[in-house]
Parts: sequence; structure tokens; C-alpha cells
Amino acid sequence: MGQNRRDFIKKSTCALGMAALATQVDHFGLMSALAQKVDDRQETSSSAGGNYKALVCVFFSGGNDGNNMVIPNHNDASISNYSVYSAARSTQGLALAQNTLLPIAVPRIGNLSYGLHPSLGPVTGGNNGIHELWAQNKLAIVSNVGTLVAPMTRAQYQNNSVPKPFQLFSHSDQVSQFQGGRSDASSFTGWGGRSSDRMTQSNNPGALIPMITSISGAQLFTAGQTTLPLAIANAGTPLNQVLNPTGFSSSAASVARLNAFNQLRTQDLGNDYIAAASHITDQAMQANAALSTFQEVTVSFPTTTIGRQFQQVARLIKKRNDLNVNRQIFYCQIGGFDTHNNQLVSQASLLSQFSQAARAFYDEMVVQGVSNDVTTFTMTDFNRTMNPAGSGGAVGSDHAWGNHTFVIGGSVLGGDMYGMNTASGTPYPNLTLNGPDDADNGTNARGRWIPTTSVEQYAATLANWYGLPANDLPLVFPNIANFSTTNLGFMQP
Amino acid sequence: MISRKTRLFSHILGAVILSLLTFIPAFAQDDPNPNSPTPIVISEPDSLRVLTAASSVKSGKRAGLTQTVFREGSYVTIFVTNLSLLENEGVNAFRILVEDQQQRLYRFPVVKLEQLKGQEWIYALTFEVRDNLGFWQGPLEIGDAYLRLTWRGLVSNPVKIALGRSGGNLKEIAGAQPTPMKMFADKPGDDSSTTSNYVGYTYSGDRIRFLEQATFGPTAALDHRLRRIGLRVWLAEQFDMPYPSVENPYPDLPLRSNDTNNATLGCGMFASGSTERRICLRDYYSQYLVQSWFFKEAFYGDAQLRHRVAWALGQLWVVSGVDTQQASHVVAYHQILSRHAFGNYRDLMKDVTLNPAMGNYLDMARSTRTNPNENFAREILQLFSVGLFMMNQDGTLQLDQNNNPIPTYNQTTVNNFTKVFTGWSFCNTGTNPLCPSAVAGTVNYKDPLLLNQANHDVTAKTLLSYPNAVNPTIAANLNGNTEIDLALDNIFYHPNVGPFVSRNLIQHLVTSDPTPAYVGRIAAVFNNNGLGVRGDLKAVVKAILLDPEARGDVKTDPHYGKLREPVLFTTNFLRHFNVGSANLTMQSDGVVSTLPNAMGQNPFYSPTVFNYYTPDYVIPGTGLNGPEFGLMTTGTAIARANVANTMTFSRLNTSADAPAGTSINLAEMTALVQSDPTGNQLLDVLNTRMLHGTMSQSMRNTILTSIAAVSAATPQARAQQAIYLIVTSSQYQVQR
Repeated sequence: MGQNRRDFIKKSTCALGMAALATQVDHFGLMSALAQKVDDRQETSSSAGGNYKALVCVFFSGGNDGNNMVIPNHNDASISNYSVYSAARSTQGLALAQNTLLPIAVPRIGNLSYGLHPSLGPVTGGNNGIHELWAQNKLAIVSNVGTLVAPMTRAQYQNNSVPKPFQLFSHSDQVSQFQGGRSDASSFTGWGGRSSDRMTQSNNPGALIPMITSISGAQLFTAGQTTLPLAIANAGTPLNQVLNPTGFSSSAASVARLNAFNQLRTQDLGNDYIAAASHITDQAMQANAALSTFQEVTVSFPTTTIGRQFQQVARLIKKRNDLNVNRQIFYCQIGGFDTHNNQLVSQASLLSQFSQAARAFYDEMVVQGVSNDVTTFTMTDFNRTMNPAGSGGAVGSDHAWGNHTFVIGGSVLGGDMYGMNTASGTPYPNLTLNGPDDADNGTNARGRWIPTTSVEQYAATLANWYGLPANDLPLVFPNIANFSTTNLGFMQP
Repeated sequence: MISRKTRLFSHILGAVILSLLTFIPAFAQDDPNPNSPTPIVISEPDSLRVLTAASSVKSGKRAGLTQTVFREGSYVTIFVTNLSLLENEGVNAFRILVEDQQQRLYRFPVVKLEQLKGQEWIYALTFEVRDNLGFWQGPLEIGDAYLRLTWRGLVSNPVKIALGRSGGNLKEIAGAQPTPMKMFADKPGDDSSTTSNYVGYTYSGDRIRFLEQATFGPTAALDHRLRRIGLRVWLAEQFDMPYPSVENPYPDLPLRSNDTNNATLGCGMFASGSTERRICLRDYYSQYLVQSWFFKEAFYGDAQLRHRVAWALGQLWVVSGVDTQQASHVVAYHQILSRHAFGNYRDLMKDVTLNPAMGNYLDMARSTRTNPNENFAREILQLFSVGLFMMNQDGTLQLDQNNNPIPTYNQTTVNNFTKVFTGWSFCNTGTNPLCPSAVAGTVNYKDPLLLNQANHDVTAKTLLSYPNAVNPTIAANLNGNTEIDLALDNIFYHPNVGPFVSRNLIQHLVTSDPTPAYVGRIAAVFNNNGLGVRGDLKAVVKAILLDPEARGDVKTDPHYGKLREPVLFTTNFLRHFNVGSANLTMQSDGVVSTLPNAMGQNPFYSPTVFNYYTPDYVIPGTGLNGPEFGLMTTGTAIARANVANTMTFSRLNTSADAPAGTSINLAEMTALVQSDPTGNQLLDVLNTRMLHGTMSQSMRNTILTSIAAVSAATPQARAQQAIYLIVTSSQYQVQR
């Protein structure tokens, strides 16, 4: 009855609010865990041994233009090839030159060549990027993923015979559907948070921090009914300082102040906003105690924001036994993908930052010996229009729909493309404007691909690998029954 | 009923004020008692169980088991008294909060309210047993639960209601008493007896609350003035107050080249790495001067309300220094916000639409007939005016027959508005009389965008559709200038705009989750200011601040209030203590944005057009709407404490970019500790000024104990101990 134990809301009455601290501490089993930590450290850490798994979500905020991230690099006339791509984008100057693409062979599509954005390769002074991981079978692409209520053909889209996700092409709504894991209603919780709700008690008994950590603030993905995520700064701040209140010492006055600071959070909880603020601060103080020491990572990470986020994740993973966690979910975010203009320069920079950071992280996981236990995956608001917005140096693109995602890790069945087939017989969409995969219609159609693979199918495949019990799947993904395939096969069983 | 008013402090204050009261402004408008009565739910004669009338049953729903046990779908009629309703104040002013034995909280919708015949002071109130807070799937039917009624930010006595069955393991509430009908058998006496002599606005709790809502933080001087002249006269003064302050004009910055290295119009005339170049980049190519100007105005400006409303509007109509590099561009944008803060929303819409910073931020300045860009068209609808779903006039969503919300528009609508907004670009030709600010070699971000009709899409357009829609279509071959006005009118007259704007401004000024009745009252003012004018923001702001849901000495509704956003947390904190320069010999330089930035809000650098947080943000682990909680995480919670630490025990020292530095002044608080080393006197003052008298006895005891651990020989340290604890407390960080 995990969801019945929600202690967070200390409801309306003053008198009912007083059990707060005890129940809040109990929230993550912290009370018992903290007690054990002093006397019985070996026993608690032994319970964490061996069976570690982590998911790292990287959100490309703003809507990454997947059409310039994964590009046909072949001339096969039976499906969309480079010429189709180029025809749609070169006039306004948004097409990437074919000879700059980083080739990948795709077994799923007859070993034809596709190309990754040139920023995903080696960088002078950096590392070799994620392109290299394709050939090592550690990088997979899931193609034409997007928000869906149920599978939908173009005809069904046009005649409204299947419910559509609400507010397609709107940032806030599409983000919340991608992170919320349902597209037919708004969500108060995310699929990461709900997975944690189902799994915390069974997998992380005695954990010293919540199952979920965001290195990028409050995010719907990380919120559950009983799960409240940790949210901490990136590696620019040492782990032992991210949640450390400054100004306290061992003087009697300071000790008394700290005591009072803690005690005040157990009072006046009749107002729910006060209770919420106190609870979040409480959680920070508890985690702070658990993060008082840490070891630096081995691999050199980029000093970009996303690099520092990944580095902070790596520090936490390195500390996993101390924190007594068997399962962890992390959230990182890189912003700036809403490239209505100046896309060529902006997107190249952002994808390079991601590639460099994700590769450093993968390499660090290898060093830590957990590369098979940690899977990184990407999400974004939506794809962008195949038809560019503007032209010339300022060229960009507008909001669209189905998109391509990356999955990286030792347990990924990499080196291939995944997802449900489009009308082309491949997971990769037909790039023709007003073509069979375009949600737009008529001569002004701009190329917004109707997804063939839902967010739920993509997420459920990851959650299954992570260990979410099959019978919990409909609780985490309420519409999963609308999709016959719930495992896309890109993770090792 | 609540009498935790000022103690010693009020006596001192009273003496000062009496001496000021000899002059009563001739134009004084009467301020009524701000306190609404506290609603009382009537119980059975000898128990806490709620008194109910026979329950009716809606067809298709499960029936109530008996008259005293209820199930999901049941309609329950209870009895409520001690209300004082406005004309038209009805069911949407009330909420039923129910907390079950597992501390799950539900909100049940109130559907009917009727006065009892012959006992008009008692109301029969009917609600449906159906949660519409939405966090839980539905109410558990596990026995007795506590029910309370909330109205105007006040919560009633608790009563018990049986869900599914009676009994179970419900904790007792200490002190809860039955409220049987016989207690209310007689008509209550009229207590509106004496208000003949104007003795000032004596409601000290409400004065502080009002200042928290209408300014960047209460000060002793403002509180004195408010007591003397009252809320309405103060508002009238504010509406006419010059802005910005004479001593703190907007930074007067020239347009610069977009190329920072430009040798004449950039910073290229200064050697790379030189101090001059650093300062040039700081002043022209960052928001440094805008931020420091903003905080000086917040700390010391007289036109507090205009500054506050402009800050709120800037979080609705967002542009950001992330994309808008030059400070001069942001100044030009902020001038529009402040100019229209008490003007008309339609004028604001027009001026922002044609402002170059917005044109750049949301790409309208690049959108042409042949290469249209949807960005501005989409966001003006979604974020700035009508929102995604059709609303009732009280801000609640309209639902279709399947209980689904009804979209306000679709992608086709966005495409059509996109066409309307094509053809506009920067006005860079100095000889054009419309572009007096143009400077050769720079992009003109000071004058409005200019239409190039050749780039404008002149095909016919279909715009927003709604009952009696204004300009639902635009004919082909019109001039783009004409179309802008037709299209903005089409948006402006959409019925969603009133509730949309009203709710947003209420959230910024007063409370995160206002009742629909409150939103509806303000939307009605937006729709018609009383003189037939729609969109009068002055009338809207005044109505928001004078509404009975905003006013009152104390609010007890568990869902009332809002988390102070980092900027307001910073200014409220510092203004309480006479903020000055680092050495306290002059005013602060306003270079304090590092403080809110550490807490997640770097002013004038919103991360996206969605602002720092979204108006519909729901606090994780609750169903509760709390926008500012979008910035409240474990990390920023500690950052808040650390900002309090820095400014309580230290200061922002002078530096190359901070000529004066910033510090609070502890002299007054230290003197209070010298006069009373226990800290009681200090806490009286801090309670009044910072918590408007709501400090609980437990909180007081906790802080007194902590003060006692500090040496009595260091009274300033005792004051600091108390200030740190109050500023860091959730009790203070939530404005309520």
C-alpha cells in the first residue's frame, strides 16, 4: 500500500500535523536507515551489493530537430534517401552536406547507411563523441517516437477517428506528455516518479536518498505520488556542498540555531504551502547528511552545463554503496533546442555538448565497472518541421512531432535502429512533405511526422530493463494497453 | 476571533501615529473592516458529526447508503452559518476540504447554496462526494473523515463525515467542539455599530498583508502611512505616482552594434582584457544595469505598486536576457510594461507585439510571407491571452459531454495567426519618421517594428471563433497594419482573456490557488471596469487588492497563500531591515541579483518564454497549484537558507561591480534586544512586521530558546539568531 503512506500532505488541521517529522523521515525508510548507518554499516551496504541499475534521462529542452540529427545517407529510391532530405531543406539552407555526415550502418534497414549530425563525432581537445559507440553496439536509435494516445495512421489523424494527444506542437503540453507518460490528460506525476513509487520499497529499502535525483531542478518526469526527487546543483558544486546550509559551526549558539532551524519545520503545517516548503527543506537536510563525503570521478568531463550534470550523476553513482541504493533514476537537461532561427550554429553546439558529455559519462561508467548497469536515454519536446522556418544564415524550423532518440549503455543492443515501422516498412519516416507520414496536409504541408512509436512504448522498454514489474506497467503507463508491443527490443533482456 | 495582535510594539506605534492623525485627507475613502466572518459548519447536537439533510441521488451514481453515510457520487447537504455574502457570491466561493484517516486530502465541489426560509442567516450547502483536487483517483470509503469548509481564505470548524461507512480510526482533534443548530437559532446581532470617527486603518495584520501583495515588501514607514491614509487613498496615490523615481531613472543606454567587437559601436575600441572593455560589455551587453536599476527601485522607489505590477506582467509577457543581449533592448521592453501596468490590456498587447525585443525573442521580426514562423502566433494565444482551453468566466475549464476540456484553438488557427504576423521587421532607417531612435550600424530595438507589406501574407485568415466573435475572419488583400489591429481585437475580446489575465495576476500578487469566485469577480472587472471599458488594468489591480479574499488580518485556509519567489523573498527580507550600502552610510547599489539567482531566479534572464515557473505548476506529492514551487527544490531550499545566512550575518561587500555593496541594518533590532534581552520584545516586532501576527506559540518558543543560547553580551547576535530563523522558516517564506 505504498501510495497510502503519503505523508507529504499534512492536511488541513493543525492537530493532525504534528506527526510530521517522523512520517517524513519514514518516507524513504530513512529513520531506520540512518540508525543503522551508525552501528551496522556493513549489513546495510551488503544489502545494496550486486544488483545495481540506473537510468539517466537527458532531456533536450525546446524540441530538438531530429531531422538534422539522424539523416538518410543512402540513395535507395524505394524509401526516403538523402535526395529527399536535401530537397526539403537545401533551398533555405538547412540541409547538412552529405559529406559531413557521420555514417552509421543500420541492420534493421538492410544495412543501409544513415548519417549522424557531424557534431556527434570526435572533438579536438575532447573525446571521440557518441558516434563511435554505434560501431561498438553501445548506441541505439529509436525512430519516430512521439506522443500518442493510441496508434494512428495519417487517415485516422485527418478524419479524427483516433484521439489525438492534446495540444500537439505546444512546448509545455508536449513536454508534460513526454515526461508524464500519457497524452490523453494532464499529469501531476511523471513516469520516472511513478516507477520510483512502485519500486522504492522493494528495491531501495534503507536508501539514504530518494530513488530519483534531478540535476536540473523540479521536473514533472521526476515527480511521483510518494516519490519526491532530490534536486541538486551540477558538478560545479562539490557533492558535499550541494545541500549544505552555510554558516553553522560547533558553537553553542550555532548548534542551538541549527536545532531551531530544524524544529521550525515540524510546526505550523496546517497550511499546505508551508508543509510543502518544509518537507522539501527537510528532505534536503537529510540528504545533506548522506552526502558529506564523496570521491571524484576518474574521467575528465567537459565543463559545459550538461557535462557538469553528467559528472554529478557519475559522482553519485560512484557513491551508490554508501547511499545504499540499488536503483536510481537521474534527470539531466540541456536547453536551447527551440531553434526557430539560427539553427545550424545552435544545434551543432548543443549536440556537440551532449555528445561530449554523454561519452565522458559512458567512459566513466566503464571505469567504475557499471557500464552494463547504467543506461542513458534522450527525450525532447517534439521534432521540428522538415520545412525550414526562414532562410539563409538565420534559418530555423518550427514545432513538429515524431522524433528520434538515443539510448546509450552496455546493456543496449546498440548499432541498430528501433521502433514500430512506418508506412515505408522501416522505423524511419518518409521525409516527403504532405507524404504518408506527414500530419500536415496540402501544398503548405511542412513535414510533421506522425509518430509510429509512442512515448509509452519507448519508456516501457526502458522501465522493463530497469526492473519495473510487468503488472505495474499499466499503473505507470495508463494507456499502455493501447499499444500491442510494449518492448521495442533495444535493451538486453 | 483571532487576537494575536501587536503587543508592546503597537503601543509605541500607536503613540507615533496618533500624533500624525491630526490631518485626515479630505479625499479619504472609507476602508471597511477587511475581516470576513469565519464560516461555521453545523454539527449534530452532541457530536462532531456533520448535520446533513436527506441526500439526493443523481441518476447513474451510487446511492448514499443512509442519510449519514456517503459514497462517491452522493450529494450531501450540510448547514453553514456565520457568512456575509456579496451579491452574486455563490457556490464557487466555497470549497469542501476532506481529509481521511490516511491523510489523503480531497476537495469536493459545492453545487448549491440556499438560505433557510425564516432563518436567512443559515445556509443549506450541497456538495458532491467527488474529488476535484485530482491527486487521488477518488475518495477512499474507509470511514469517518474530517470535513471543513473554506471561504475567502478562512477555514471553518472541523466536522466528521462518514465515507462508505462510519467509524474507523480517525484521530481526535484537540479542542474541537460540536456546533449544533440550537446555537444558531436566533438571528445574530448587528455588529456594524460604530465607525463614525476615522481613526486610521487599524487592521495591522491586513496592512502588512496588503503591503506584501502590493509592494516589494513592507517597511515601517509604509505601514505608518497606510495606517494613516488607508488602502484606497494609498492606491489612488500609487496610480498617479511618477515612475521610476526621480533619483533612479531608467538606464539611458544607446543602441549598440550586435557585434560586441565593433570598433565604434561595440566594445572593440577597448583593448581585449582591459577594464574598460569589461565594463563596456557589462553595461551594454548584459542586464547588469537593468538588474541594479530594478533592485534600487524595489528597495527605495515610491511607485511600488507600478513596479510590482510591471514585474508581474514581465513574467506573463516574457522576454529574456538569454536571447536579448543588450540592456537597452530590455529597458525599452520594460518601459512598455510599466507604461501599461495601469493602462489597458489591449494597448499592452499591441505595444508588446510590435516591440523589437519580443519580435526577436519569438521570431516575429523574421517571419515573412514566404518563410513564416509560428513562434509568436502560438505563444500570444497560449501564454499571453486566451490559454489552451475554453474557460468559464470564473477561470474553471469548460467541459464537453465527455468531461474533456475544449481546446481554444488548433494548429490551423496558429497557422492563420502566423500569416497575420508576417512582414514585420526592425525599423533601421533613420530618415523614417517612425524610427526616430534608429542609429546607423545598429538594430533599432527602441522603436516599434515596421511593416514591409511586400513580405506580408495577404491571403484571407480565419481567427479565433467564439460566441459573438470579433473579427473571426480577415479578408484577403488587407494591409498588415490593419490586420494587426483586427487580429489583436479578435484575441482581446475572446471571453477567456478576462479570467486568464485575472487569475495570473492574482497568483502573482495574492494567492496561488484563488477560488473561482475571486477569479470571477476580477474577470468581471476586466470585462467591464464599471464604465463600459474592457481591459482596464488599473481597475483590475485595484479589485484584486481590495477583494475580500485578499483582505483580512489572518487567513486560515490550508490552501491560501503563495511561496515567495526568490526576487520577492530577497526584497521583502532586505526591506524589513532598512537595506543600505555595505557600510550603511548610503543606499544599496542594487547589485544583488546573485541572491535570487542562487535561488533559481536570475531577474531578466528567464530560461524560456514559459517564465521561471508556470502558472499551473502542481507541487509534487500534492494536487495543489503552487507556481513558485517550480523553483523550490532540495537544492534551492538550501540556497534560500544560505542567502538568509549571507545577509543576516554578513553582507554583499563592495567590489568592482558593486560600488556601494548591500547590507541590512540591525540597529533597530539590536536596540530591542538591549531593551529586552529575552528577545520577547524583538519577536513582537518581527512577528508583526514579518508574519503579520501569525507566529504560533510553538514557533515563538523555539526561537526564544535559540536566542537564549546566544550570549546576552552580544545583543546583535541575538537579533541575528532570530532574524535568520524567521527568514529561513517556511512560515515566512510562504506569503499568506
